[in-house]
Amino acid sequence: METKRDIEKFIDEIKYGRMTRRKFARAMASVGLAVALMPTGRTRALADDSVPTVFTWSGYDAAEMHGEFDKKYGKAPNYSIWGDEEEAESKMRSGFHPDMVMPCSYKVNKWNDLGFLKPIDTSRLEHWPEIIPALDNVPDTVIGGKRMWVPAWWGLTSVTFRTDLAPEYVPPEKHTWGILWDEKYKGRLSMIDSLIDGVMAAAIYSGAKDPFNMTEAEVAHCKDLMVQQRPLLRFYTNDNTGWQQALASGELVAADSWNDTILNLSKQGIPSAFMIPKEGPMTWTCGVAMTSWVKPEMENMVYDLVNAYLSVDTGVYWVNTFGMGHSNKNVYSHIPADELTKRGLTPGDIDAYIKAGHFQATIKNEPVLQAMYEEVKAGI
Amino acid sequence: MVSASESLPSQALPPLPTGQRLRAWFYRNEAVRGYLLLSPTLLVMIGLMIVPLVGMVGLSFFTQTYVSIDYTFTLNNYWTIFEPSDKAAHFLGIPFYLKKPIYLLLLFKSILVSLAATTAVVVLAYPMAYFLAFRVKRHKMAWLILITVPFWTSYLLRVFAWKIILGFNGVINSGLVSLGIIDKPLEFLLYNPFAVVITLAHAWAAVAILPIYVSLEKIDRSLLEAATDLGDGHLERFLRITLPLSLPGVIAASLLVFIPTVGDYITPTLVGGTDGIMIGNVVQSLFSKGNNAPLAAAVSVVSMMTITIMVCLFLWFVGRGRLSRREI
Repeated sequence: METKRDIEKFIDEIKYGRMTRRKFARAMASVGLAVALMPTGRTRALADDSVPTVFTWSGYDAAEMHGEFDKKYGKAPNYSIWGDEEEAESKMRSGFHPDMVMPCSYKVNKWNDLGFLKPIDTSRLEHWPEIIPALDNVPDTVIGGKRMWVPAWWGLTSVTFRTDLAPEYVPPEKHTWGILWDEKYKGRLSMIDSLIDGVMAAAIYSGAKDPFNMTEAEVAHCKDLMVQQRPLLRFYTNDNTGWQQALASGELVAADSWNDTILNLSKQGIPSAFMIPKEGPMTWTCGVAMTSWVKPEMENMVYDLVNAYLSVDTGVYWVNTFGMGHSNKNVYSHIPADELTKRGLTPGDIDAYIKAGHFQATIKNEPVLQAMYEEVKAGI
Repeated sequence: MVSASESLPSQALPPLPTGQRLRAWFYRNEAVRGYLLLSPTLLVMIGLMIVPLVGMVGLSFFTQTYVSIDYTFTLNNYWTIFEPSDKAAHFLGIPFYLKKPIYLLLLFKSILVSLAATTAVVVLAYPMAYFLAFRVKRHKMAWLILITVPFWTSYLLRVFAWKIILGFNGVINSGLVSLGIIDKPLEFLLYNPFAVVITLAHAWAAVAILPIYVSLEKIDRSLLEAATDLGDGHLERFLRITLPLSLPGVIAASLLVFIPTVGDYITPTLVGGTDGIMIGNVVQSLFSKGNNAPLAAAVSVVSMMTITIMVCLFLWFVGRGRLSRREI
């Protein structure tokens, strides 16, 4: 083997002092340089300094999402993709400075406190008047009278269940978060592994007055419920493909989930339904924000890009592809009523529909809840 | 080593200017040359290993405030880890009604899972390595490449593969159902510590096979022939020559598997289910969702120290065992 001989030669030369420092350093440097250059070469070549850089979720960079922008400038913005908002937060803390970000509403407060965000002047957004009124006053997104973020999409967190495996829950008046605590389905239930979508779901079921700002007694009650639930669960997961496949195969009877799950299950013809529980589903919204690092010459382009994300075309693509709601109220007339129902949305009054849920807000006592959640998950 | 001035007829050369002499000494001094040769590696080690490690240890003595870090020295994070908790604990699914600190309990559980995986890996890898070293005569390289084939794909994919094998509608379940052995899928295959052990054992197999193979390959075959000539049977030959001489490989394999698997958090996340959570998951969630990097750093430091102590004890124990055998 040629390489083996080369390496042996290399070692011999070091051993017998024939190797000079220069020669050694050169050999090492060539290996190091090759490795170090591999990742930089491509991205350098692709980045375009004349358009804003957007930091967001995978899939939100699709060409259909920013059509208006591309039409106006003849090119697409730069994208950088995050795994989740926590990862994004640490990346921005350590010096990554994009021009635009797309967090969900409950993150806006913290990102503002971290100094990431710059207020948005909605009068510069052409599509702003078309936004669903219920999304205007999302908690913690207008800070000190300044709008730090605009809503672009919304959805529900609730229970998706197999109607054939749990028929007693089929009538709409029987819809309840309680199915996730039903002893009958031990080992065939799952919860989303996060404070906002998991612990808050338990908080809603526990009947906490404000799930996002619980009293000590309410936290204790919520914890009891989660301890009770743990042995009934097959897993805690963050991965929506995971729970969708498990529901599809019948491994799970019911799962804490978003309203995209029901779309994917119905496409496969699997008998299933998305609950609007009597305790209320959880409503969430994610959107767009401009960062404090935005370059002055880039600001107009960022406004155009925000606007593009709020357009009807983007909304129709969004609802059709991802199965969740878009913030533009004119989107819904472009989609057939049964397609809306299939996605856990409504052909009726969208505004009232959104208001019926518990709107996700910044969790007030996060460290306490996180510690509690770790204890529950660890089985303590 | 013979110095340059002794080996050469000194009269034949005019004395060198001081600068050149110094340079000559500098380049001929073995220690200096050694450090110079090492310097790039040393820099990489310092920059990529020691500095981050010191940073992490330092971080563990601070406190996380909401958006920044309070740099006053405190041992609170360590107290949080060692503080006895009076809550009852489920341990590998079995309820333990003892007073135990939660992070240490999880660390202990991770070590148990990892030890089980390491044992499984080494026990499975040894026969494979043995076969390769003693039975395969031709195309050895092809066999070795075959062993590394699973390593050509990502770790994540190898873990996912086990989800497909052990899953509800997975290969094993659907196979057993279609053979009529069971009438509904087994649920205990996936999402428990058992699944974590199987997955880890497979994912780290090649790392264990190769060092064992190398140590077996190095064994002097004439020792085995001598043993046969002196009347040893297969088993005696194996126990008295092959196994002791291959122990360095087995030790290397055990360490190579044990150390990284204790902190693994991908496998427990994907196949562990509610009872499969390990210490790595807690560190990861403290760093990201928990927004408490100093506590996460302290948990990591405690885990690292525990593993280091375990490894040192293991090496000392093995070393002592081999010494006493030599004395006999």
